[in-house]
Amino acid sequence: MLTVRDLTVSSGSATEPVDIVAGVSFGVAKGEILGLVGESGCGKSMTSLAIMGLLPQPGPRVRAGRVELDGRDVTQLQPWQRVEAGHGRMAMIFQEPMTSLNPVRRIGDQIVEAVRVHDDVSAAAARARELLELVRMPDPEMQLAAYPHQLSGGQRQRVMIAIALACRPQVLIADEPTTALDVTIQVQILGLLRELCGRLEMAILFITHDMGVIAQLADRVAVMYAGRIVETAAVDAVFGSPRHHYTRGLMDCMPSRNAGARRLPTVSGQPPAPGTIRAGCVFAPRCGAAREQCHVMTLSRVEVSRGHEVLCAFPLNGGEPA
Amino acid sequence: MSGDDILDVRDLKVSFAVRRAGRKYRVQAVDGVSLALAEGEVLGIVGESGCGKTTVGRAIVGLVQANGGSIRFKGVDAMGAGRAGRRAMHLNVRMVFQDPYASLNPRRTIGDSVAEAGDINGIFRDRAERSAMVAETLAAVGLNPSFAARYPYELSGGQRQRAGIARAILPTPSIVIADEPVSALDVSVQAQVLNLMMDLREQLRLSMLFISHDLGVIGQISDRVVVMYMGRIVERGRTRTVLDHPLHPYTRSLIAAIPLPDPSKRILGAIETSEPPSLFKRPSGCAYAARCPLASERCLIDVPELRSTGTDERALACHNV
Repeated sequence: MLTVRDLTVSSGSATEPVDIVAGVSFGVAKGEILGLVGESGCGKSMTSLAIMGLLPQPGPRVRAGRVELDGRDVTQLQPWQRVEAGHGRMAMIFQEPMTSLNPVRRIGDQIVEAVRVHDDVSAAAARARELLELVRMPDPEMQLAAYPHQLSGGQRQRVMIAIALACRPQVLIADEPTTALDVTIQVQILGLLRELCGRLEMAILFITHDMGVIAQLADRVAVMYAGRIVETAAVDAVFGSPRHHYTRGLMDCMPSRNAGARRLPTVSGQPPAPGTIRAGCVFAPRCGAAREQCHVMTLSRVEVSRGHEVLCAFPLNGGEPA
Repeated sequence: MSGDDILDVRDLKVSFAVRRAGRKYRVQAVDGVSLALAEGEVLGIVGESGCGKTTVGRAIVGLVQANGGSIRFKGVDAMGAGRAGRRAMHLNVRMVFQDPYASLNPRRTIGDSVAEAGDINGIFRDRAERSAMVAETLAAVGLNPSFAARYPYELSGGQRQRAGIARAILPTPSIVIADEPVSALDVSVQAQVLNLMMDLREQLRLSMLFISHDLGVIGQISDRVVVMYMGRIVERGRTRTVLDHPLHPYTRSLIAAIPLPDPSKRILGAIETSEPPSLFKRPSGCAYAARCPLASERCLIDVPELRSTGTDERALACHNV
């Protein structure tokens, strides 16, 4: 449904581009959730904005690569051009619903506004109510008249999802939608997304820094580091047998409630800033298993098993160094 | 509560006046919390947003005014103490804040921020001693002493949080109250900062009150834990015991909702949770009753008191467990 090919997003001048996202490729199928995981600054949000056509202007731009929605190239189209061309069935939800909702307008009006962009105007009010029911908002009729501040964080995120669903999206991009929520509310929202994904046959690109959320929700996983996807595989394969050293490091340093006062393994150092990346593997300076050639050689993606790709010359095997 | 408790908080109450839609409300953010911190111990406070865990920490250091209860530091009443007594306590009970971007003054160098408590209390003999102690403290938190001359904007999130910790340990306090110190950090950096805090605890023999919403982090660092819900403690005990065998229905649901990094243990759809009640409309009886699978009629009327279960420093506030 959604295909991204060699997407490169750069800031800086045309002659000296600084790649924030460098040659990212993946696909998300109908009814599938792809989890895109990585730490701050790895380029995961830039990737999603580039896919949506929402890159800030002036600012970084898509320097190379393609974004295809249902087989049609939408890379260079602005959001309104996509809607006019009938390719607008892509929507996005963000981390903090309070900053995405208008604080002085009623929930119902804000949903109606989104419905009118895509749908018959006369039925908009009924459709808004239907959308709130779809996202399992308790007491939808009453909530239509509420203002955002009267809702809890979880309810606001449900409203955001309702607005996103107004265009009957084929692709939904969710950028850390549960990071600001308490865990007991987070499970509700994750469960809702899982359910909607199957029921509405959407492709969902779910962006997060939380490996736990990925394990709970995603069908497939793409791990991003310094603007590159370093590992892609089915969720069971990634957690059962991570092949990239960074993926392994991310999992090891998660605190566990079962561990108890022991030192956590860490990934030493910090990710490189865009523009400082030189030849060789981007992770080599922090990698415990890096060899001399890692710092100089050009890497290409290797398929280590069916559907499991890794950007590493010496991938782990069964979680251990090969 | 034994004699070697360095901090003893009893029946702490904090309320805030809030104005909503033209009406004034009083929100009881902390409603009778008692806890004791033993020398060298790390006590975790865990709960969801709005449960009052941050307010407990802020009331202890005096950033918010308590309107009930007592706080004793090394046996001395801290709330009734005069200016001098309170100042001595402030130097001994220090705080690390959640947001390393908001908690460092952007217009002061890291060195000045780290030395601030020492400056105010006149502990440095001269400039040379001041910069030596700042350098030593920065080194202790894993920062190059050259960072003393830098400004917060030049530092990454992890480095800022290290600076925030440095500020809290010069001069070395008895107690550090850490309010969500790693929540704003990436996991790989979070692990580094947690390790640092565990090291410092040992080296400086710190006692710590560690406030977090994250049971993983709490499980990693704390010896004992209290679980808070709507301003009250609902469960207390050794961290291992509470996390491995939670008794209170709220603790149970909190643990069940943690997304485990294991795709074979999926919980979505398997567990039911509901929204917490509004802080403005505190239910009579047990505050958790409306969400609780075990709730009986009594829960809607009687507020359950925190009672000891007799074993393992365990205490519980529930009528039905």
